[in-house]
Amino acid sequence: MGSIQLKLRWLLSATLLLQLFLPVAANDRLTTPAVKTVRASQALLLDITAAGQQLIAVGDQGVVLRSSDEGLSWQQIQTPFSVMLTSTFFTDEQRGWVVGHDGLMAFTNDAGLSWQTGLDGNQINRLRLERLQELLLEAESLSDADPDNEALLERLDLLSWQVDDAQVAQEEGPSVPLLDILFTSPERGYLLGGYGLLLRTDDGGQSWQYWGDRLENPDSFHLNAMTVDHRGFLYIAGEAGLLFRSIDDGVSWETLDSPYEGSFFAVTEFDHQLFLMGLRGHLYRSEDGLDWIAVETGSGATLNGAYSSQDKVLLLGAGGTVLQSSDGLRFKRLDSGGRSSLSAAVIIDHKTVLVGEQGVVMLEANDE
Amino acid sequence: MNKLSQLIMAPIKGSEEFAERFLFHRRLLVLVVFALATLFLAWQAVQIRPDASFVKMIPTSHPYVVNYLKNRDDLSGLGNSVRVAVAVKEGDIFTAEYQQALQQITDELFFIPGVDRAALKSIWTPNVRWTEVTEEGFVGGPVIPPEYDGSPESLDQVRTNVLRSGQVGLLVANDFRSAIVQVPLFDKHPDTGEKLNYQALSEQLESLIRDKYESDNLSIHITGFAKIIGDLIAGAVQVVIFFGIAILITLVLLYLYSRSVSGALVPLACSIVAVIWQLGLLKTLGYGLDPYSMLVPFLVFAIAVSHGVQIVNTIALESARGADSWLAARRAFRALYIPGLTALLSDGIGFVTLMVIEIRVIQDLAIAASLGVAVIILTNLFLLPVIMSLVGIGKTATKRAALAEQKQHSGWQLLTWFARPRGAFTAVGVALVLLGLGLFQSQQLQIGDLDTGAPELRPDSRYNQDNRFITENYSTSSDIFVVMVGTENEQCSSFETLSLVDRFQHYLTDIKGVQSSVSLVDVSRRVTSGLNEGNLKWRTVSRNQLVINASLSYVPAGLMNPSCSLLPVIIFLDDHKASTLTGVTQAVGQFADQYGSEQIRFEMAAGNSGFEAATNQVISTAQYQMLAWVYGVVSLLCLLTFRSFKTLICIIAPLALTSVLCQALMASMGIGVKVATLPVIALGVGIGVDYGIYIYSKLSTYLVQGMPLRDAYLNTLKTTGKSVAFTGMTLAIGVVLWVMSPIKFQADMGILLTFMFLWNMLGALILLPALACVLGCEKSTVTLPKKDSRKQETENAL
Repeated sequence: MGSIQLKLRWLLSATLLLQLFLPVAANDRLTTPAVKTVRASQALLLDITAAGQQLIAVGDQGVVLRSSDEGLSWQQIQTPFSVMLTSTFFTDEQRGWVVGHDGLMAFTNDAGLSWQTGLDGNQINRLRLERLQELLLEAESLSDADPDNEALLERLDLLSWQVDDAQVAQEEGPSVPLLDILFTSPERGYLLGGYGLLLRTDDGGQSWQYWGDRLENPDSFHLNAMTVDHRGFLYIAGEAGLLFRSIDDGVSWETLDSPYEGSFFAVTEFDHQLFLMGLRGHLYRSEDGLDWIAVETGSGATLNGAYSSQDKVLLLGAGGTVLQSSDGLRFKRLDSGGRSSLSAAVIIDHKTVLVGEQGVVMLEANDE
Repeated sequence: MNKLSQLIMAPIKGSEEFAERFLFHRRLLVLVVFALATLFLAWQAVQIRPDASFVKMIPTSHPYVVNYLKNRDDLSGLGNSVRVAVAVKEGDIFTAEYQQALQQITDELFFIPGVDRAALKSIWTPNVRWTEVTEEGFVGGPVIPPEYDGSPESLDQVRTNVLRSGQVGLLVANDFRSAIVQVPLFDKHPDTGEKLNYQALSEQLESLIRDKYESDNLSIHITGFAKIIGDLIAGAVQVVIFFGIAILITLVLLYLYSRSVSGALVPLACSIVAVIWQLGLLKTLGYGLDPYSMLVPFLVFAIAVSHGVQIVNTIALESARGADSWLAARRAFRALYIPGLTALLSDGIGFVTLMVIEIRVIQDLAIAASLGVAVIILTNLFLLPVIMSLVGIGKTATKRAALAEQKQHSGWQLLTWFARPRGAFTAVGVALVLLGLGLFQSQQLQIGDLDTGAPELRPDSRYNQDNRFITENYSTSSDIFVVMVGTENEQCSSFETLSLVDRFQHYLTDIKGVQSSVSLVDVSRRVTSGLNEGNLKWRTVSRNQLVINASLSYVPAGLMNPSCSLLPVIIFLDDHKASTLTGVTQAVGQFADQYGSEQIRFEMAAGNSGFEAATNQVISTAQYQMLAWVYGVVSLLCLLTFRSFKTLICIIAPLALTSVLCQALMASMGIGVKVATLPVIALGVGIGVDYGIYIYSKLSTYLVQGMPLRDAYLNTLKTTGKSVAFTGMTLAIGVVLWVMSPIKFQADMGILLTFMFLWNMLGALILLPALACVLGCEKSTVTLPKKDSRKQETENAL
């Protein structure tokens, strides 16, 4: 008994000693398991998705919730991290992803019952620095071969500044949040984040590449949302009216003319039309992603998220705003039963489950 | 044992002779000295002021309070404010009339002395603003637009601004039918250094706000610590009326009992003198009169009367036996000097044991009460017989006393049944059953306050109604528990600190009884989200220290200290029940053990509930400590006086039964053990022992003379028993009136003390002889601590 305690104490002091040399602080939220609370389904939740008949909701403090009864009851899943989770995405019923602050990405292979950290901000910082350094070397050799090329020199300048920036960021630590996930196939997926962060995998999340350099985003604005349309075109919407499109499966990106200079928070496709929305209730609709038409909703509340199903599209926003449309032209305001902001929604078996500031909100049936 | 008792009792016995000689040979001098002292102390007593200090009501040496006091200056912006809610009965607050009233009330409050004007808040003050995130960043303005003119359009604008100000639930009720003016107060005025006058403030709130603006359509609800104190002082002053009533009733009873004008007036006058002395001495020693020690004068008065009655009773008996008033008084003095002194000493020592509880109001109460008892020795044991020796008891009283002693079949006869084996065993059996029931019931006894709202006041008091109104209509409760997170200087806003506190607050949401919590973290989270266009996905503590710093460029008062080494986490609780508080302190303790470090310390506790948690902890240990002390000391005194363990059991057992029953009563009435009720048992035991001592010393006198227990008991009853019964009545009358006090704890004390006084009396009259019979005290075991023949001779010679 005594000797075991002694050993434990030794072990404890050994780990304490180790911690002195490790860069990770004792209670770092990237590695500290989430607190399990009974009220987790009433706390800030940011995203919700369906994995088959299961619902998965994620939010503040590393909370991952799972419901098998269409949102009536929720079970908090043990997670090995406690950073705020911002988005979740399932490629099939078993395999899913979450991303969050501090560059955290985690995945599940068992329909959300257990989660494992896949990436953190430190690794992302390294990926970014390595990619930029690679680009810098490339540009340097190009420029060496063609020293009078003004454009190359300019690119060299920009890249060396970006490398410096990435180095500073690495020293600062894993401070860049991830904000959205999109997988276009089981193998190919994208992670979006603050300050122009974009990552891509081609092997189902085994390895990740820094992809942010492919977007024209000199001010490093946040990338907030991403979607894929029926033609397979990709769209990224972000801070300050940022809007990008890729028609070659994400290899190259073009900057689109933005209909608005404020931030976009969500982009979705419904009925072969794209919907782009953001700050102060601004909502735009487009057939092709190039020409955008403003949609009057009668609400000035910021729109945070969207969900589209076969027959309707739901927009979620500040102050309990829920807008619904079945034709994409006229939006009707629904009562969410409160004034707390909403972030995401999912419809399962005709039941609409919302998440936001106050956790899970079940929308009353409202079939017209 | 004998030696020890001799050592202690010898001086008392020795002093008796000296005191007796001095008092009865220098009567004029004695009177003059007493008169002069009374004049001086009366002059002091009228200057005594009601006094209520926050710090005095909390256990200052408890670690929670030590932590609070360490950070007191930094936390000053936190607690001490008053909230004035202005409610409409019809419609909502968006009418021109309502807004005009709210504006006027805000202005009115601005000018009340003691108000921290810069921090005053309502939707009419410029520091309450709305903000909104636009494409260009934050925009905002005051809630009341500059062009406000009371028109429907501008009222609409107010409504919009209120919604986007985020003040719904804070300054504006959730149902839009009332709004709050938040009035922070200076404990000490920063310019003048003047201490806040709670009484004056509370009166101004009543006269300038409530009386002036309350109307058919407007109601005013005021809450806050300052208002509680104001109401407490106002309520406590009302007890003066009770004091008057108690004096009148006692006077009537005294007359009915003694049938002598002097026999009624002299004990009453001496008892009032005792109260005057007690109050005067308190003032001279620099004490004020807080709502707790406000009750001591009642006790002093009641105890004084009860001792006075013993003396008057004995004088009447001695007169009946033919002594003149001088000799009767002198004999009474001699007969009662030792039991009286013993009784008063045990009272006093019983009160002094309260000093072990490290809460100032209880210690002050202990001092005030022991002082009062000490004074009674002078006024009622010394002064009273001297006066009586001058005025005499009167013929009617003498005759009655003579008659009573000769009467063979008095009502007391019935009680002698208890001194016979059958009755005795029955009584002891019943007592044991009661003890069992009492012990069982007292398991339910709870620590702390069980009611919601301000526990000091009654649940249906105006204050608690107001409090309920605000709790129901706004999002913040009035039960606040503050955890102080301490760091190195400038580290309170570091990422490590904030992310850990963020986790802590999240952890708290799972703790039973926690409604919500607020700290610097919430500011940082909200502003970080705001800096990112209000995106909910950014509502967290940023890992980038520069972003954190930017998010904290404006911090509301009280969420961090100037050196950034303290970050209070304000926890709002559902209630302040002891179980809630225990749950919270345990949960916080666990978190602190697991995650706290030298750099980030989680220290409990401030806020009203924090102090209450500390108080509960002190009380739950102190209550047993105090019982051990009070019983230990009283038992020792009895042992020294009577030198017999059987006697000890006869006197103490009835008291113990009463204590247990009192706890059972508290449990069944839902009265918790708290600052106000803790002293009750000590007071009850201290005073209750008097009965036992008087009865037993008389009983043993007769037993020593060789009487069988039954006769000795009957004789005791006829003489002392009568006065004990009367004493129980007077004491009970002194305290039963408190039940009507507007202050909840005074009413609780009133109920419990009345119960204890009456039960102790019954215990002494019934259980004591029964125990004596069962234990077989009749034989030669009885010793008497007094009366030697030498005395008799001296007296006869005089």
